[in-house]
Amino acid sequence: MKPMDKLANQLREDASKIDVAISPELDDRIRASLHGVKQDVEQSSGESRTASFWWGSSLTGVATVMAIVAIVNLNGAEPEIAVTEPPIQAFTVPQFTWKPKPALLTQSLEQELADIQSDLKKAERAVREDLDEIL
Amino acid sequence: MSSETALIKAAKRGSVTAFTELVEGYRDGLLRFLVTRTLSFADAEDALQDSLINAYRYMHSYDSKWRFSTWLYRIAINNAAKLRSVETVEIGDLSDEESGPLEQCIAASDRENLWLSARRVLKDEVYTAMWLRYVEDMSVADISAVLERSVSWTKINLLRGRHKLDAELKRDTGSNKGEAYG
Repeated sequence: MKPMDKLANQLREDASKIDVAISPELDDRIRASLHGVKQDVEQSSGESRTASFWWGSSLTGVATVMAIVAIVNLNGAEPEIAVTEPPIQAFTVPQFTWKPKPALLTQSLEQELADIQSDLKKAERAVREDLDEIL
Repeated sequence: MSSETALIKAAKRGSVTAFTELVEGYRDGLLRFLVTRTLSFADAEDALQDSLINAYRYMHSYDSKWRFSTWLYRIAINNAAKLRSVETVEIGDLSDEESGPLEQCIAASDRENLWLSARRVLKDEVYTAMWLRYVEDMSVADISAVLERSVSWTKINLLRGRHKLDAELKRDTGSNKGEAYG
C-alpha cells in the first residue's frame, strides 16, 4: 500500500471516529423551522399574487378608459384645417476632428501584464504536469 | 428518473417532506463537518439548522449542473464562515481549546486523531478541501466549485495538505515508537 493511500484511509477512519448524531430536539427544531419558512414563502407569494392582481385590474381599467376616449374622439372628429408653419431651420451640429492616439503611458504596463500572464501560464502548466504525475 | 431528482423537483415546488427526505442522507455528515469548524457543539447545530433552512429557502435557485451535496456544502461552509466571523475566531485558534466540540466527539485513542492535527497545521480552506476529498469523496472539480477556487489551486493544496498530514502522522507514529522502545 502506498503511503498516501494509507494516509487517505487513516483520514477516513479518523473522521468516522468523530461521533456525532442529530438529537431528536434538533430534528424537531429543524422541521419546525422548515415549516415556518414554508409558511413565510407561501404568505409572501400570496401577497405578490394579490399585488399583481391589483395592478392587472388597474391597467385593464386604464386601457378601457383610453379606448373609450379614443373612440369618442374619432367619431366626433372635425375636419382639420391646414396650417402652414414656417420651416424650421436645420440644427447644425458642430464638427469635431477626433484624432485618437495610442495610450503611450499604459503600453509598458500592458506589456508587463502580458509577460506576467505568460509566466503564470508556464508555471501552471509545469505544476499541472507535476500533479498529473503524482495524483 | 432517480429518486433524488424527483425529491429535488418536489422540494423546488416547496414540499418540506421531500426536502427533509432529500437532506436526510447528508445531515450527519454535515454536522460532523461543522463540528470541526465551530467553537461549540451548539454552534455546529445552529449552523446545520441555518444551512438547511437556507437550502430550503433558496431551493428554487438550485442548478442541477451541481451535485446536490456540492451545493449543500457550499451553503454550510458559508454559514460556518458567517458564524466564525461573528465570533472572530480563526480555525487555528480552536486547537488551543482542550475541550472543543471536536475533542469532545472523539473517543480517547493512543494517537491524536488526524483531523485534530489537520486543524492545527492546515489553513482553513485546505482543511476543508481535505475533508471534502477524503471524507465526502468529492471530486477535485466539485471541491473547487465548493471553495470557489481553480482546479489547479485545489490540486496543489490537496497535495500540500497530504504532505503536511503525512509528516504529522509519521511524527506521531515515530514518537509513539520512541516511547515504546525507549
